[in-house]
Amino acid sequence: MIRRISALVVVAVMVAAAMSPPAAQAARKLRVVTTIPDLKSLAEAVGGDLVDVDSLTRGTQNFHEAEVKPSMMLKLRRADAVIENGLDLDAWADVAIEGSNNQNIMRGGPGRIEISRGVEVLEVPTTRVDRSMGDVHPRGNPHFSLDPGLAPIITQNIVDGLARLAPEHRAAFEQNRKDFLAKLDSHMVEWNKAMEPVKGSKVVVYHPDFIYFLTRFGLVQAATLEDRPGIPASPQHLVNVIRQMKEEKIKVILVEPWNDVKLANRVAEEAGAKAFVMATAVGAVKGADNYIAAIDYNITTLSKALR
Amino acid sequence: MHAVVILVVALLVALGAAPVFAQDTEALRKELEQLKRQQEQYQRAIDALSQRLQRLESQPAPVTTAPPSGPTGPSPANPQSQMAPPSATDLLRPRQPFALYQQRGSGQLLFDMGVTGDFVGNITQHNVQKSGTGTFAGRENRFFPREVELSLFGQIDPYARADVRIEAGEEEPGAATGVSLAEATITLLTLPYGTQAKLGQMRNRFGWSNVIHEHDLPWVDRPDVYRMFLGEEGLAEKGVEASWVPDFLPFYVQVLGGIFNGDNETAFGHGRLTSPLVTGRVMTFFDLTDTMALQVGASVANGETPERLRSTLVGYDIKFKYRPDGWLHPLLTLASEGIYSIRRTERGVDVNGDGIFDTFQKQTRNSFGWYGWTELQPWRRWAFGARYDSTQYSASPGYQWAVEPYVSFYPSEFLRFRLAYKHTDRTQRDVLDLNGNGGSGRIMDEWLFQATFILGAHPAHAF
Ligand SMILES: [Zn+2]
Repeated sequence: MIRRISALVVVAVMVAAAMSPPAAQAARKLRVVTTIPDLKSLAEAVGGDLVDVDSLTRGTQNFHEAEVKPSMMLKLRRADAVIENGLDLDAWADVAIEGSNNQNIMRGGPGRIEISRGVEVLEVPTTRVDRSMGDVHPRGNPHFSLDPGLAPIITQNIVDGLARLAPEHRAAFEQNRKDFLAKLDSHMVEWNKAMEPVKGSKVVVYHPDFIYFLTRFGLVQAATLEDRPGIPASPQHLVNVIRQMKEEKIKVILVEPWNDVKLANRVAEEAGAKAFVMATAVGAVKGADNYIAAIDYNITTLSKALR
Repeated sequence: MHAVVILVVALLVALGAAPVFAQDTEALRKELEQLKRQQEQYQRAIDALSQRLQRLESQPAPVTTAPPSGPTGPSPANPQSQMAPPSATDLLRPRQPFALYQQRGSGQLLFDMGVTGDFVGNITQHNVQKSGTGTFAGRENRFFPREVELSLFGQIDPYARADVRIEAGEEEPGAATGVSLAEATITLLTLPYGTQAKLGQMRNRFGWSNVIHEHDLPWVDRPDVYRMFLGEEGLAEKGVEASWVPDFLPFYVQVLGGIFNGDNETAFGHGRLTSPLVTGRVMTFFDLTDTMALQVGASVANGETPERLRSTLVGYDIKFKYRPDGWLHPLLTLASEGIYSIRRTERGVDVNGDGIFDTFQKQTRNSFGWYGWTELQPWRRWAFGARYDSTQYSASPGYQWAVEPYVSFYPSEFLRFRLAYKHTDRTQRDVLDLNGNGGSGRIMDEWLFQATFILGAHPAHAF
């Protein structure tokens, strides 16, 4: 038996020896993996051609419940950094990261970049929450990545994270960030102009995916179609929403592409309104294939819908 | 001799960890200095505060904010900010053990906690109950908590995580419920070259379903092949399991190797590291399309039975999932697992016909068992499925097959009810009458019921 164990040990040593140490990292690009595509777009803007970025999910997916697949672990296996949204939106990524056996990106590792640091979180529960309220976000609303007003904070977190791994490129990251924010600012002027006439309008949303965006542009979320997150809405709740929409003359329901668009349409019809599928993420709808395009899509849709 | 082996293993672990620590030595020294400075600052702040407290206490109770009199010592301008919780960058740096613990505010748990409850019931024929060979052996025609589990898990420090599960459940009919340690592991996460090591008491990663806890299985009961070859609860062992994910392959491969005591009641009961249970597994995974994925694995386990006879299990597993774009759940899941058992057995031989065994003959007994499973989940809250089981017995002649259609209903993500009907047919040769009272488990028809809840945190499962 001892011989068997000894043999095993020898094999283990040989396997370990056969694997060469990680190659010198100076010449190659940083390999970055993001949990959601919005962050991929922003990481590309900041990292420029110094990084290769991949996302674990696609824009059409519901990020609350992404299924952890070993193909995610494969992407993460060779990553230098992983960029995560935080606030429990992408908590599932922990499982994929652990399954990747990549020491760089374990929780507490240098390659772990969380972008919610410094973000003023909305809808933080002020009273005790439990699951009788559905699948609530106990640490506040995590759907902030497509609020252009938060891009400076998010990109700063990304710059800091990437510069931790490649300090020699900090200046380049900072410059890329500045260029990107300048571009975003010029769009912001247009967006504000487009939204000015509809300021103060009320909208109904399916899941509170848009609160940061709506708040940024002075719109009001009057109600949600889901009674309690993750639990099918009761007919009574829908009746109430329809009544409210009629009373307050709310003309617009915003719905996520992964949500029950049919139900949103039905409620809209009853209430004499219209439902719009929004770019809840980069790549969620056609034409929203980068950060600015996604926001542009939402601004165009909303400003037309509310006019 | 054993000491040598242990020494070699320890050396290996140390060697593996060495480069990591070497890189960090400089950083650690700086960190240490910084910590020392911080600690001095804290000490000063605490001194100042306690002085102030003494002063306040020595004064009569109703005071209207007395102005600070005299110097308060060399305290920093704002002691409050010195005591602020660690920032995110602080947390990212490696720390002295327990430094975090000392710094954190009161009341915040630094790990996750969850409770799951799994209740099952079964209704079957009287003769099956008499024979005690039902799916819930000895608990036929009963409703009971099978597994109520408290799980605690989280990062120990930047290098390791811990998982502890304590469970209670009914093991035999009656009012009593036993509590036991179901799982307790440390996982070293930052080993080099894409390796990880898990040590402690764990469910083994043999096949894809063995590692899954009772309440998380897609069926009411574990597949027959696991129950026949490894006992009602499958393979759960104490020891070490190392995993390796190579980074040079274009697809995901996970290689596992483990050394365990061998405490399995059925296949590996020797229970000593001198002749341990050694396990291995290779698993790979393909995304066929954006919506379809296939997982394939092969496992092996080799050890000794309680009678010190060699026992080897070789298993395959395959799982296919189809999840239409944008769906929150799979529409179709197909899976199969099989185990081939090669086992030395001892048979008594009566040479002179006096009814007493004179010698024991050793022989090798090969047996095979498998199951196929399909599940359809057309709506989020409803899933329909069926499993077909067929397995020989590992230590005695005969075999059994079973078919088990079921329906699962999920009122929410955290609550599930399941109803199954299981028909089992065992070969005539193996009419079981464990209790010697004329009962028979040759043909069984069982209604199985299950109710499961999740309270609090629950670690997500991969694929
Ligand atoms: Zn949400």
